Amino acid sequence: MGNAEKIDINVFKAVARAIAHSDDLELMTGHLTQLLVGTLEIKGCSIFALEPESGELELLSSFGLSSAYLNKGPVFSNKSIGAIKKGKPVIIRDLEDMDLLQYPQEAREEGIGAIVSLPIKFYGKNIGALRLYHHEQWEISETDIDSLLVLAEIIGLAMTYTRLLNALKEVKDTVNDVHSIWFNAIGG
Amino acid sequence: MAALKILLPYNFRSLDQKALAFANSTFGHLDEVEITLFHAYTPLPEIEADSTSVMGKLKGDLSYLSQKIMQQEAELKAVEEKLLQTGFLQNRLHTIFKPRKRDIAAEIIELVTNDNFNVVIINHKSGKASRFFTGSVFSKVVSALKDTTVCIVS
Repeated sequence: MGNAEKIDINVFKAVARAIAHSDDLELMTGHLTQLLVGTLEIKGCSIFALEPESGELELLSSFGLSSAYLNKGPVFSNKSIGAIKKGKPVIIRDLEDMDLLQYPQEAREEGIGAIVSLPIKFYGKNIGALRLYHHEQWEISETDIDSLLVLAEIIGLAMTYTRLLNALKEVKDTVNDVHSIWFNAIGG
Repeated sequence: MAALKILLPYNFRSLDQKALAFANSTFGHLDEVEITLFHAYTPLPEIEADSTSVMGKLKGDLSYLSQKIMQQEAELKAVEEKLLQTGFLQNRLHTIFKPRKRDIAAEIIELVTNDNFNVVIINHKSGKASRFFTGSVFSKVVSALKDTTVCIVS
């Protein structure tokens, strides 16, 4: 596949709208994975949250990959496409040439030819990963990689925003549960 | 009407297979049981017409995206078939495959309430990080439902 730029301002507009129009992270990331698969004409896309203690990448959303591949086993950031832990993008242009995968056999059986993995950061800390899977070898352009890094940062902001929104809703629900009689009883 | 009307939300993950095995071993041998497999998929995003290049690219690949959603529906039917083979009666087995409009907990709560399910088999998402960002589906479901037995598989 050629390395002409595929991500332009219109893709960013569509992605920004998908983020702005949803307060549900799973729906939002679901739309993002679909948009990226559709516009980049790739096989699949996944978004992971990083569990900081174990280093496990937990699946938030995915599109285009089989459930057999998604259920292959736990994905660890230090074993799977190792450099993601260092916060750098990793581009495996040809799966046949590389030995960076935690589940290489499963990737081949899934029909994956190339993988691009990008860190999702918030304030410089890794909080997840964005992964794009191509059917065949993939000569992705440097400009598209830069664009995807910016996109991953936007996803990091959206993840943090929805987490804060959820916390705020929980506070609101708790406050709503406080009956005025109980409030008066504690001297309010 | 069946004595037990069970809802089993299914998301194609390994924990869902565990929930399925639980449903089978616990309820499979009973006569008065009706079970519904439920999956709410993410519908394709709506894109405004002025984003012509994105629409163009997406339209070109829309059949691929739709095909992937149809594959999921077929997978859900295959799960239903598996349940049939393990003893559930055909007229007591149903699947609901619909686009999701809100968070999954709200979809489950609405379905249980509107369709009068009296048992829900739900799994407890094992991942700490994903739960941190998306919230716990099972705790939302458990706290919202009344007069419903909720079985939690973890």
